[in-house]
Amino acid sequence: MPRPLLNIVTKEVKEMMRDPRILLGMVLAPLIIFPLMGFALRTSTEAMQESLRTVPIAIADFDHGAVARNLTDFLKSMPNVKTEVIEAQSIDEVAVVAQASNVTSVVIIPEGFSSNVTAGVKAALKVYGVFRSGGIGESLTFSAAQSLVELFRQNLISETVQTRFPENQNVLDPLAISQESIIKGRPVDVNPSALYSFTQAQSFSLPLALFMLIILAMQLASTSVATEKEEKTLETLMSLPLSRFTLLIGKLAGSTLVAAIGAVATIFGVVYYMGSFAFGTTTQPSIDLAAIGIAPSLLSYAILGVSVFVALLSALALAVVISVFAEDVRGAQSLLGFVYMPLLIPMFALMFTDLNALPFGFQILLLALPFTHPMLAARATITGDYLTPVLGIGYVAIFTLVILYIAARLFATEKILTAKIRLGRKKIKEE
Amino acid sequence: MSVAIESVDLVKVFGNIKALDNLTFRVNEGGIYGLIGPNGAGKTTTLRIISTLILPSKGLVRVFGHDVVHEAAEVRKLITYLPEEAGAYKNLSGYEYLQFMGGFSSRDTADLRKMVEDAARISGLGDRLKDRVKGYSKGMKRRLLVARALMNKPKLAILDEPTSGLDVLHAYHVREIIKQYAKEHNVTILLSSHNMLEVEQICDQVALVNKGKIIVEGTPSELKSKHKAANLEEVFVEVAGLA
Repeated sequence: MPRPLLNIVTKEVKEMMRDPRILLGMVLAPLIIFPLMGFALRTSTEAMQESLRTVPIAIADFDHGAVARNLTDFLKSMPNVKTEVIEAQSIDEVAVVAQASNVTSVVIIPEGFSSNVTAGVKAALKVYGVFRSGGIGESLTFSAAQSLVELFRQNLISETVQTRFPENQNVLDPLAISQESIIKGRPVDVNPSALYSFTQAQSFSLPLALFMLIILAMQLASTSVATEKEEKTLETLMSLPLSRFTLLIGKLAGSTLVAAIGAVATIFGVVYYMGSFAFGTTTQPSIDLAAIGIAPSLLSYAILGVSVFVALLSALALAVVISVFAEDVRGAQSLLGFVYMPLLIPMFALMFTDLNALPFGFQILLLALPFTHPMLAARATITGDYLTPVLGIGYVAIFTLVILYIAARLFATEKILTAKIRLGRKKIKEE
Repeated sequence: MSVAIESVDLVKVFGNIKALDNLTFRVNEGGIYGLIGPNGAGKTTTLRIISTLILPSKGLVRVFGHDVVHEAAEVRKLITYLPEEAGAYKNLSGYEYLQFMGGFSSRDTADLRKMVEDAARISGLGDRLKDRVKGYSKGMKRRLLVARALMNKPKLAILDEPTSGLDVLHAYHVREIIKQYAKEHNVTILLSSHNMLEVEQICDQVALVNKGKIIVEGTPSELKSKHKAANLEEVFVEVAGLA
């Protein structure tokens, strides 16, 4: 690296890493906030799971018949269920007792229940949820109670049907349905739902990580230029025997390095955060991507890396161009706010749908945005379609060069010292 | 004696405002030349054009024979510029700032070390140079910046209001540095100030600027005797009233 460029990059990194706002906001905060969020979520999920360990159900039997007794015994025999029998004269009385106790559901067996079931007449059975705070724990234990009653109903049907058709054991389940996938023209023994949930998790986390990285980088680059203007150090820099292009590249390189440190901190934080949910998904079978032919190749990772890098560079160049028009850091951040939201938000459309499924005009808009292309490159790691991301890299590289050219032109002229946008008047004014 | 700066019919227009109106002057090598005048007279605009930061609308400026527009890179090798109210990087220490700035004009590490040692001496900040700039007072910061502007012994140092906002002691220190450095190292100094008494003390040659024009030029003693004034302030009041 040439000495002047190294000098600028070293200064940029030193300045930024010593700035408490940057150190706190971009490096320490992700390392603290994400794990804290994960801890909070894990604690509450564990509390929910704990609450499911005992499902408190009250039973009010107004029937006292054989089927009613079967139901009561069935509920009592279930593991993790704590039953409480309420002896009362009316439903109103049951409600008062249930509300005063800690049960979350009440199964009320009306009079005539057993005789109706035995006679083949539809028998009424009431399951009440006892509403207290309406929390997730309450809702989950009520659902558990509902499922148990449903299980009893299924058992009742099975018993009845099997009595009528003793020779045909499959009458209730005559179909053996299996779910499998076709991947790249090959049948593969993998449940598509598991595959979809895996790819959807990817298509959600990558845009989010990319969004954070790009905003981080843009803020750094614009702050770096705006601080020079605010602190009036830019004029001194520009009078030095140093090419304006070197100055520009030095600033971009410095911001990229610090953004990379911030991104690594964010990734560490996010990985810990995501890890907080790992126990919740242990029931899902893990998928061996290599065995089913969709393991990302080294080439696809390389393409994704290049795609993210050029998109990042385009964001940095864009931020520098924008900050040229700001008088100070606050102005630069405000201008950036106007720009990055419209640029970044459309790419979230790709989290929910494929590019091809969108209206043609929206497709063109998305393809025109540089930040869409790393997401397409990420999809290509699974599909193996390398042409789309390579074309995307070409497009973003050209986009970046154009923005860099504009940035270099602005740095080479007096515009960088004189141009400013007054947000109140929304027009460009020269000193 | 060669010519350090030659400005001929310099015009600068910002929108509807004519900041410089056919400004013509010449600065000889090794001298201390002062542009004096009220705020908004056009002093800073002139210094920024000579420092290759902004372009003239019309006219010609040469620094040691190099055109500031077409040979800007050459001009930047010969000059240092100290903007008015310039800051330093607040998260760097004084030493780190000097090392960073010296890195662009030093030939090698030994040269850079010598430059930084010189600057440390000029600034008179001693051990405080190890502290981060954000803890410096305005006076300390200005001393650091003046030291930076002189440390590589430029052929021309352009200093915009070098003592602006400083207390008596800091202003005295900065003036002494400028005088001493110009004499010892044959550095040409072009400075601007609206403090006319200060300029009278350190400049060999002065130009009174008002509304983008030079209204009178000469040595301080010439101007005072010509206008029968006790100081340059009285000269300015008289000529500005006549202009």
